[in-house]
Amino acid sequence: MRGRRLAAALAPLLIPAVAMAAVDGVPLPRGWIGTTTDWVRGFGIAFVLLDLALLALAWRNLRRFGLTTSVRGGLFVAVALVPVMVAFLSFAYGLEQSTTVSACGSCHVMTPFVADLQDVKSETLAATHFKNRYILDHQCYTCHSNYGLAGTLRAKFEGLGHVWRYTTGTYDLPIKIASPYPNVRCLGCHGASQKFLGSAGHPKEEMPNLMAGATSCLDCHGPAHPAQQKAALR
Amino acid sequence: MTEEPARVRGLRIALVVTALFDVLALVLFLRATPIVFTVFMFVGQPLFAVAMILLLGAVLADLRAKQLL
Repeated sequence: MRGRRLAAALAPLLIPAVAMAAVDGVPLPRGWIGTTTDWVRGFGIAFVLLDLALLALAWRNLRRFGLTTSVRGGLFVAVALVPVMVAFLSFAYGLEQSTTVSACGSCHVMTPFVADLQDVKSETLAATHFKNRYILDHQCYTCHSNYGLAGTLRAKFEGLGHVWRYTTGTYDLPIKIASPYPNVRCLGCHGASQKFLGSAGHPKEEMPNLMAGATSCLDCHGPAHPAQQKAALR
Repeated sequence: MTEEPARVRGLRIALVVTALFDVLALVLFLRATPIVFTVFMFVGQPLFAVAMILLLGAVLADLRAKQLL
């Protein structure tokens, strides 16, 4: 009975929330019901709205009836049960969204990089990867984080540093990469491809240097991004 | 001051703190920028932890009052 009531309360909140999360841009296949991220966002918004309503109800009942058994139950649902779902969904959604190009571009010092990335006329390495969809999505994050769990964790900690420096204004212009770009990030995708292995530009005697990072991929394939103006605005 | 109002006050604070957590989560769902996500992680999540501790404290006090603990 309670389950039915909860479902009935969730449905009117969930449907508009999922509709809000609909994707725009390219035409979608027939029967498209959204991505996992859209649904996480939709459920997240629905649970937040439901919890706010439950909190208001719990507040009113606590004031009106005191600590009765049913008020205790309502408090447990409003303060513990539903917020756990909100915490899980918001963490998952925030983590996923922090890897998008729009997240990187939300800091205006990144605007020239993102503008070049999305410029179809640009011949930089980043723009070439973007316009040909060599990387389907999350292009900034894919190229600027190492592979595996350690890479993800390191990227998150570095991202935290970026947010801190951006918010406090403690950064220098022009923006530079913190350490030399490692070949392993290129080789993760290209290393085993026949186009890479069979290319005349990658002779066998040069392979050990490329694999070890003694010769940088960017020495021949750069620049990855356009040169930055020293006078760029903060 | 009796034990009952103190427990109720703690629960009221838990309700307000949870509401703040919900608002921060809603902002994240509507506008997921890195700054909003950082604020949610370092302010929102601890607020939820505080609410849980307050709720747990009220439950323990309740059990003690009924001599079940």
